[in-house]
Amino acid sequence: MRIRAHPIIDFKKRAELPFYFQKKKLVGEDGDTIASALHATGVRTLTTSLKYESPRGFFCGIGKCSSCLMRVNGVPNVRTCIAPLKEGILVEMQEKLAELPDAEFFGEPKKTIDVDVLIVGAGPAGLCAAIESATQGASVLIVDENQCVGGQLVKQTHKFFGSKQEHAGTRGIDIAKELENDLRRLECEGKIQVMTDATVIGCYENDKKHRFGVVERHEYKSRLYDVRCDAVILACGAMENMLLFPGNDLPGVYGAGAVQTLMNVYGVKPGERVLMVGAGNVGLIVSYQLLQAGIAVDRVVEAAPFIGGYNVHAAKLRRCGVLIQTSHSIKEVCGEKKVEGAVVVRLDENWKPIKDSEEYIKCDTICLAVGLTPSTRLLSQIGVNLEFIPEAGGYVAPHDGAMQTSVKGVYVAGDASGIEEASTAMIEGKIAGLASAILLGRSKNKKLLAQYREELAQLRAGPFGEKPRIAKEKIAKLAEAHHA
Amino acid sequence: MKSKADVVIIGGGVNGCSLAYRLAKKGLDVVVVEKKYLSSGATGACGAGIRQQWSTRENTQLAIQSVKIFEQLSSELGQDIEFRQGGYLIAVHDEKEMKQSEKNVAMQRSLGLKVDILKPEEITGVVPILDVKGMRAIGATFCPTDGHANPFRTTFAYADAARKHGAEINTHTTVIDVKTAKKAIHAVVTDQGTIQTNVVVNVAGIDSKTIAEMVKVKLPLTPFRKEILATERLQPLFEAMVISFKDGIYFSQQKEGQIVGGIPIPEEKGGYKTMPTLAFLSHMAQTLTRYAPVLKHVNVLRHWTGFYDMTPDARPILGEVKGVKGFIQCSGFSGHGFMISPMVSFLLTELIAEQKTSEVLESLSLERFKGKNIEKELSVVG
Repeated sequence: MRIRAHPIIDFKKRAELPFYFQKKKLVGEDGDTIASALHATGVRTLTTSLKYESPRGFFCGIGKCSSCLMRVNGVPNVRTCIAPLKEGILVEMQEKLAELPDAEFFGEPKKTIDVDVLIVGAGPAGLCAAIESATQGASVLIVDENQCVGGQLVKQTHKFFGSKQEHAGTRGIDIAKELENDLRRLECEGKIQVMTDATVIGCYENDKKHRFGVVERHEYKSRLYDVRCDAVILACGAMENMLLFPGNDLPGVYGAGAVQTLMNVYGVKPGERVLMVGAGNVGLIVSYQLLQAGIAVDRVVEAAPFIGGYNVHAAKLRRCGVLIQTSHSIKEVCGEKKVEGAVVVRLDENWKPIKDSEEYIKCDTICLAVGLTPSTRLLSQIGVNLEFIPEAGGYVAPHDGAMQTSVKGVYVAGDASGIEEASTAMIEGKIAGLASAILLGRSKNKKLLAQYREELAQLRAGPFGEKPRIAKEKIAKLAEAHHA
Repeated sequence: MKSKADVVIIGGGVNGCSLAYRLAKKGLDVVVVEKKYLSSGATGACGAGIRQQWSTRENTQLAIQSVKIFEQLSSELGQDIEFRQGGYLIAVHDEKEMKQSEKNVAMQRSLGLKVDILKPEEITGVVPILDVKGMRAIGATFCPTDGHANPFRTTFAYADAARKHGAEINTHTTVIDVKTAKKAIHAVVTDQGTIQTNVVVNVAGIDSKTIAEMVKVKLPLTPFRKEILATERLQPLFEAMVISFKDGIYFSQQKEGQIVGGIPIPEEKGGYKTMPTLAFLSHMAQTLTRYAPVLKHVNVLRHWTGFYDMTPDARPILGEVKGVKGFIQCSGFSGHGFMISPMVSFLLTELIAEQKTSEVLESLSLERFKGKNIEKELSVVG
């Protein structure tokens, strides 16, 4: 199930890494996660649910949904979608509640880190925030759950729109490389500390500075960091939304982001024939990328009576002969232990299924591109004021023009501040990074801040910027009301 | 919201809801007002243990009788409150503690409780994952009928049963004032309206101090932040709650498999503080893995804070307050409000519905703090 020929990405064969799954020897490649290596060998069922013992597979691909928990070298509950594959490891299915390993555990002593700015998440917003803040003279620690930085950029093979400052015309994967180069340069200069495969676990009581716990994961050897900072920028992204329909938990039902990760990061086919649910930009772009990877897209169904994404993406799909059905949705998935097909249904003007309009589709993969929800759990725990704004994707933190929330020194940027896209996330990151440096007295460049804000307004000026514009206007009003 | 009631209960925790149920069942017109949601205070943050091994006679009696009620509560309320009796194992660390334990056990046995004193080598027979050397134990006491229940399910089950008997439960309703006339309760003013009543029960946990001030009563309550963590789910390892008064630690494994427990942080002082601390996480992890080294491999999933409403003798303040007719006090549980809630509501129902008082209620009145010889509850953990 490896992709070898691809028009954009060069999936050269990488070094082989043998490992064991249920005592059977399998071979993955250097750079794989455990789940991507299993997928490449055709293993799609990773675990079973505890209550009903139904099979579960790769769903989110970013360590958030817990449907890929497995036992690795005896350690239970490992999130195999983000855990790096290593040579010779023993991977087992966890059929029941976790058993504890029969091995020594050497915890590393707690360490304290003092920095000006902590950045949570190394996606487009977090990377830009880190680079900006450090360039202005602040000391920065950036933490990410994954083994590599770049967030969702590392799987975005399409060229970006917008203006030149925001990398228009460049592919997401190349932007990720550029940003990582800048980050590593600042890391070499000692201005930024980068921590990957690590989780910010919570905000804790402290007198003057903000205080966070960070766990850096190592097998049998994890380390807890006590991080104190004057400002924190939460750029922790978003989570894929789920749809309710029978069979939505079967292996073969993926979030769109997970499909993108599998094929564009690891070069692994999610399946052979896909039903795409949702015709927003994500649904359209991922459908096209599936075709590029040599995977058939049966059709795209969209519950709304219109296509939500850019016309240019829809047109590309149509030219390839892919049917886009508006006012249609998925009714159920067919199959016992895995996806074998699906039933789609036509919807009336009230989004209710029309009787006898069901159609059976043969496919082995369902891809859900039905929106995202901002990750706000850390914000909520800090005690930041949160409001429900449907246009922003759910609960978000009202923030001012400098991306500062209701708590002093706590900033948001990117999808965590309201669902938008990578170009605006990058400018929001720059704004938050610069504003935090100004707050700490490391910079006085208010002119640059105004310039960034102008760029952000321009990006949102187009007709497709309407929804985020409405969302951000609501957010600004709420922030003002809160300050008053 | 009703504008008149026989009894207004301020606070929708386990004690408020169980009292509402018992009073409504007796045919009284009951209204509950809760500032947030049901079990949003100490009830929802508690460690969920149910213990009968205490040092004072009153607490032991209340606890033994409460367990009798807990044993049949699921069937009485028609909902599973997840009551289980896995026992409590109390570690004993030195000769002084052993002497106190022997005294406690003698008193507990005299009240009919089955309690055993375990030798060090018998400890792992009850909880196999314990490292007796690591926990520095010279013995333990064990009561097999101690246990655990789900505080959320218990509170919701009481509330549903209370509603069935006609009680009105108002959540997200804040009490602004309690009015008195001629030294007697007259009305409760809330942000949703005023309720005329002659009886108010103050079950507002740590906020009960503020409520009491509305009728010019001063309660000797201090809020103590307490922290608890929950780990990921594991296969069943042990059934008992393990506690130590010396180390302050307590932990048990829940039905779903997670280990839940807490410990006080050494330098902690009283006060309204709600943020969790990193010191707790470190201290708990270190102590827990000293007691049960195999847990070093387990990830912590959640960590939260709640309050103990501590009184000077670590025992609750119950009953009518002298000088304010109809003002019934029900707080100051000092960390064990959940486990004795069945008997507390039983006794207060007798008091309110039948004007019947009891020796236990007398000994737990606010008046006792005027006396000099207060017997302090020694068996406090967490």
